[in-house]
Amino acid sequence: MRAMDSIFSNYRPVRMILLFNLLAFTLLFLFEERYDQKILLSGLIVMALIYLSFTIIKWRTWGDEYLFLIVSMLASIGIMMIFRLEVQLGIKQIQWFMGGIVLFFISYIVYQKIRFWDRLTIFYLILSLTLFIITLAFGKKISGATNWVNIGGITLQPSEMIKVIFIFFIASFFKNRGSIKIPNLQIKGKKIKIKDTTVMTLIAYTHMGFLVIQREWGGALLFFLVYFTLLYIFESDLRLLLINAGIAIVGGLLGAKYVYHIQVRISTWLDPWRDISGKGYQITQSLFAIGSGGFFGTGIGLGSPQYIPEAQTDFIFSAICEELGIFGGAAVVLLYFILVYRGMKIAMKVDDTFHKAVALGITIMFGFQTFIIIGGVIKLIPLTGITLPFISYGGSSLTTSFVALGILQAISKNNFEEEEGEI
Amino acid sequence: MNQNKRVIHILVVMSVLFLSIIGYLSYFELFMKEDIITNNFNKRQTEYARETLRGSIYDRDGEILAASEGEIQNQKRVYPFENLYSQVIGYNSVIYGNSLLESVYNQELIGKNALSSILDIKDQLSGDDKKGNNLLLTIDHDLQKKASELLGDRKGAVVAIDPKTGEILAMVSKPDYDPNSSNLEENWSKLVESQDSPFLPRAIQGIYVPGSTYKIVTSVAAYENGLVKEGYDDQGSVVIDGKFISNFGEKAYGKIDFSKALAVSSNAVFAQTGVDLGFENLKEVALQFGFNKKLPFDLSVKKSSFPYTSMKKTDMAAVGIGQGSLQVTPLHMAMITASLANDGTMMEPYLVKGISTSKGKVIYSKKPSVFLTVTDKSTADQVTGMMIKVVEEGTGTRARISGINVAGKTGTAENELTSSQGDKEHAWFVGFAPAEDPQIAIAVILEYSGSTGGKTAAPIAKEIMEAYLK
Repeated sequence: MRAMDSIFSNYRPVRMILLFNLLAFTLLFLFEERYDQKILLSGLIVMALIYLSFTIIKWRTWGDEYLFLIVSMLASIGIMMIFRLEVQLGIKQIQWFMGGIVLFFISYIVYQKIRFWDRLTIFYLILSLTLFIITLAFGKKISGATNWVNIGGITLQPSEMIKVIFIFFIASFFKNRGSIKIPNLQIKGKKIKIKDTTVMTLIAYTHMGFLVIQREWGGALLFFLVYFTLLYIFESDLRLLLINAGIAIVGGLLGAKYVYHIQVRISTWLDPWRDISGKGYQITQSLFAIGSGGFFGTGIGLGSPQYIPEAQTDFIFSAICEELGIFGGAAVVLLYFILVYRGMKIAMKVDDTFHKAVALGITIMFGFQTFIIIGGVIKLIPLTGITLPFISYGGSSLTTSFVALGILQAISKNNFEEEEGEI
Repeated sequence: MNQNKRVIHILVVMSVLFLSIIGYLSYFELFMKEDIITNNFNKRQTEYARETLRGSIYDRDGEILAASEGEIQNQKRVYPFENLYSQVIGYNSVIYGNSLLESVYNQELIGKNALSSILDIKDQLSGDDKKGNNLLLTIDHDLQKKASELLGDRKGAVVAIDPKTGEILAMVSKPDYDPNSSNLEENWSKLVESQDSPFLPRAIQGIYVPGSTYKIVTSVAAYENGLVKEGYDDQGSVVIDGKFISNFGEKAYGKIDFSKALAVSSNAVFAQTGVDLGFENLKEVALQFGFNKKLPFDLSVKKSSFPYTSMKKTDMAAVGIGQGSLQVTPLHMAMITASLANDGTMMEPYLVKGISTSKGKVIYSKKPSVFLTVTDKSTADQVTGMMIKVVEEGTGTRARISGINVAGKTGTAENELTSSQGDKEHAWFVGFAPAEDPQIAIAVILEYSGSTGGKTAAPIAKEIMEAYLK
């Protein structure tokens, strides 16, 4: 009996998500009297995907059950909003969602099977630098940032992938501290010993440098935050931390003083009303949307998120606030919060430095990315274009996020096995 | 497990970041959004306006001054009195947006305020049509009509205030235009490009040299600083720092007292008084009367200015007689006059005294409030006494009303055009009545009229005050 009860209660959250999708897609079907059967079909596909994946995770006991539940709720909200904004994009997003779930399972299995992830330090470095160079050489400029690459008709955003590779690089570095041999530098016969941390710092800033060249300010900030946080956790040398903080502050101040694009972002953050039809247009339209929603929102389909520029990507949070209200927005923020909490809990249970660092890296990446973009669109911090993980429209962002989630899921399984062994 | 301790630090940082987002959103919702969503760049507003029947605007006695007719989707704004309220209510057009009261009170007129979403649900359930709220103005329609007729085709403005409350009884600016959409759409570019600036509400945004009407302010300063002398010897002119300042028509009045000096509007006496007062006192009294201050009002008012940071003696003399670089709006001049009528207390002027729902329930009513204390009662009484003399035996005799004591002051203000073209003075009259228990204070200006205030502006003020008091 008790076992039955517990199975029932464990299935309850997924039923809530299914119910949410059922309501959302019925509403979208009735909305503006469209009665488009494609919408109902899409809804069924999303619900089936979520239910099936969750069942597999539970049945095969693949570690933490909540990660996938939280993320499917976020993705459902995203799909609903994108559908509401433009049906065609919604259908595309569902395709990305399907692809994302497949990649989630693949990355779970691959991460589990391969046992030498921590020995590929140099490979990660070469891979991410190559991707950066490809982006620079063949990149297309989309809304100010050169970060898209067109391969055989599919546009990709390599920087999304580099995020995960970068985390792997840092993790394997911390795992292999001491065993990495760096040749001494010879200058005028003198031997100068180079510290391994110096090399890592240089490599990390090279990554950020590439992002700055591509004018992906949000990305550069995110990389720095992930790098700095991992450094804080795994590096006991306080001096190195202070030096890095110093570099960030000096770099930030110099940027704010001399780089035109950063100046513009800061001045529109401080006073977007002065140039409301120009530079301040995006952020003020976002604020109008959030303000018009009120606490409970206008309701799905009853607001006017079509006035928000880039409502389906960077500004999707404003659209959510307009139609679901501040309460809807806060709910989304809290979902990310639980995701971050679960991720950190998983990381704390792992002893292996590499897996621990990867789990943490992925978790804080989700966390900071969420903060950077939501804080930006509500004018809490200067706005830098970056996607909202799992919610924003876009293949590169959604699939990379699912790959990262698959890895986190795999790490969570590892420690569950250990726990069971102890009992 | 030092690392896990640090992981917890990071978790705490993350919590702070996420909570700050939620906190900021709540703060935004509670305190910032009202100002933000009413911005004209928020396209949702016009969208919402198409879903409600815009509210009406009434005068103080319930006369309809603006109303929307037809179906909600296809409504038409109708101004039954055409030009008469164009400089007060403004226009509301699907194509050209809105102005003045139609713009400032747009949210109320389309029925959108903080509680609207809750009220909406109720209306939707009960199946009521969505109707905006109505504005109840302080304007007296008959008086407004009278003032407009008296100004006729002449350019200028009239502002009449209840000095005890600050209610605007009439506010006319000329030239004006017909705000009905058929006229706007047909004549828009002509109106916009016209050199007469028909869209300029002169009463609140026209700035003029006050001329001799400002001598009432100089008089207040003279009394407050104990500079009023027993008698003056008016030679018809005075030379200050080599600059020759003369009375109107260079007429010499000989031995006169201060009160007579105001009655005849002696430039010789008041220029000298300005110099006697000096920069600090002149500046203080101007600021006391609200110069360089933003006036609290339903519509945006240009600031009257006292621009000096230091003064030569010739500047002091000029300011003493209301010339120099002084500039006032007709509304402000009416408020200055009203403050003397109200024992030295300047009330906040207002046009909208209430807002009611489509069902007639009053949801807002304005209470009179004090804006500035400009002087004490005894000084105000003394200057009022002098102003009565102006109308009884001085330059303002054409404002006399039989059986009622009128206090007033004329002005014939030289301006940027008088030196080059001549005969372009602004004709001013300010006053109030009855002098013992003032019910109405008024300012009249005929811009670039080339005549004296006593001859052209005073009779207009007289007729309006008489009409109101009878």
